[in-house]
Amino acid sequence: MVDKSILLDNKKFTVGIFDDSDKLLHAVNTLKEKGVKIFDCYTPFPVHHLDHALGYHRTNLTIGAFLCGLLGCLSGFTLAYYMNVVDWPMIIGGKPQDISVFTSFIPVMFELTILFTAFGMVIMFFARTRMIHGIKEDLLSRRQTDDHMVLAIDNDQDQSLSNKDILELLKKEGAIEVNDSKEAFNTSLTSEEELTKILKSNKTSTKKTKKK
Amino acid sequence: MYTADIRQPLVTGGKTYSDVTKDVCRPIENKPTPSWWLGFSIAVVLLLVLAGTLAWTVWEGIGTWNVNKSVMWGWDITNFEFWVGIGHAGTLISAILLLFRQKWRMAINRSAEAMTIFAVFCAAIFPLFHMGRVWLGYWPLPLPNAFGSLWVNFNSPLLWDVFAISTYLSVSLVFWYLGLIPDIATVRDRATTKARKFWYGFFAMGWNGSAKSWGRYEVVALILAGISTPLVLSVHTIVSMDFATSVIPGWHTTIFPPYFVAGAIFSGFGMVLTLLLIARHVMNYQDYITTEHLEAMTKVILLTGSIVGLAYITEFVIAAYSGYEYEQYAFANRMFGPYAWAYWTMMFCNLVAPQVFWSKWARTTPWFIFIISIIVNIGMWFERFVIIVTSLHRDFLPSSWVMYHATWVEVGIFLGTFGLFFTCFFMFAKFLPVINMAEVKTIIKDKE
Repeated sequence: MVDKSILLDNKKFTVGIFDDSDKLLHAVNTLKEKGVKIFDCYTPFPVHHLDHALGYHRTNLTIGAFLCGLLGCLSGFTLAYYMNVVDWPMIIGGKPQDISVFTSFIPVMFELTILFTAFGMVIMFFARTRMIHGIKEDLLSRRQTDDHMVLAIDNDQDQSLSNKDILELLKKEGAIEVNDSKEAFNTSLTSEEELTKILKSNKTSTKKTKKK
Repeated sequence: MYTADIRQPLVTGGKTYSDVTKDVCRPIENKPTPSWWLGFSIAVVLLLVLAGTLAWTVWEGIGTWNVNKSVMWGWDITNFEFWVGIGHAGTLISAILLLFRQKWRMAINRSAEAMTIFAVFCAAIFPLFHMGRVWLGYWPLPLPNAFGSLWVNFNSPLLWDVFAISTYLSVSLVFWYLGLIPDIATVRDRATTKARKFWYGFFAMGWNGSAKSWGRYEVVALILAGISTPLVLSVHTIVSMDFATSVIPGWHTTIFPPYFVAGAIFSGFGMVLTLLLIARHVMNYQDYITTEHLEAMTKVILLTGSIVGLAYITEFVIAAYSGYEYEQYAFANRMFGPYAWAYWTMMFCNLVAPQVFWSKWARTTPWFIFIISIIVNIGMWFERFVIIVTSLHRDFLPSSWVMYHATWVEVGIFLGTFGLFFTCFFMFAKFLPVINMAEVKTIIKDKE
């Protein structure tokens, strides 16, 4: 497998790990107010208003989706018109086979519009987010897809506050864990020790639920 | 977090984020339970029945079925309609309820979408094998054929159906897979075996939950929901046009598209309830699929059941009012003819039985809902049977009137599709997160 390499370029990050989305959002807003540049946040679920707080613009994928839909619609028309009118009109019962039967092309045009929009948009989404089968993820916390929310700050960027101040601010905002030189990793690089720990916590939780 | 005090929480049991992960990942990370093995074995046996009866059909020919020149659609298209109808709830739940911002959908949309996809697989078997020469199943595609430049006929609703169903299947698959990616990533990051790490890593496509990805992801999900909504409505509309554009009394009615769509949603919710009530019990998901969820779904059943019932009555009244003898006869024959038992079974199951959901007790008692959901499934199968067989068995020419009864091969294929459906569903319940973890985590503290 190849690496995703958004984070893996030997970069070091200052990270604050939160266990509550409201606290994370508040921390992002506070850091932004103080002029700290945030690299990105990693959350197990979509946190509302987080993208606005981070200053991200709404994605342009919708325009792409519209264009794909238009292409699908035109393809549907071209397909039906070429086959049934231009190339080989099937005259059944003397009924006309020209542009006047346009209405019976509508279902196919409609279905192809939807098909092209869906596939076009999802493919664009994967391309834009650098997702493909077999690519390796890069994580800052093993639990960022479980219950941890990671706020990452790129150490190479110049910040208005010192590293120490940022760490203190993150703690004050309720981060359960802070680290000023965290490197990205992927699960294939995780130590066996960590795996055993997770396995243990998993087993205890199973027992608990069974007792209930 | 938004809270409305008059509402019950959407997730009960005071679950934390990690509880959600652990509960949903438990079946994936542990060995299957004896009840899973039992269900899976039964499903595989039925799947073998499907394989056997289909093989016999191909080997011996369509003559193994009792379809004839009057009733040329028989059980086959009845079953096709039945499965396509069931396939409507999944996308309805995840698309239309997303647009309506109904948050209770989040705990059930994953399994409902899975059900949709498997049901469409089952449905596709019927028209393909009805062709007789299944190896020529690609002929309805718009390909230049080998015997000249004859193309498919775009004026035919049967061709629209090919486009509609294949679009529906592929868009539903994409929608389902997109929703699965963050959850597959969760399983990947908890993986303790090499195989699980590899396969879930492969399908997670490097997802790491960055805020940028989530922003785009949500927009994509919203647009997919937006385009899936008319898609769901279009599919059964087009299926209904297979009938409505013909000139057969009993089929040739303009009410068919909305009536079929309501019926599809009705049967789909019936099947979702049947499956979820089992899954909830076997997998201990009572905290995620609460009685609130069941109640909301029974309300949909009540509404769509009533719409369907209204359509039956309207159809009858319009036939009586039309002054068109053949139409009048078709409907009188349905009610009092040789297939009256099927008609009244349908009326009872679809119009009368769901009316019990006016009572709060009925809406919140799982075992009772389970019984009604089975009745709904039976009723909707009979609806298709009534529409197809009673309209065809007595046509304009009394000399070609026949009775139609299915052979063991037709029954076997139908039972076999349940095998296919449940085999897929059991595999899904073992290998993929049955509840959408990422979405449920967003509503864990909500009351809405």
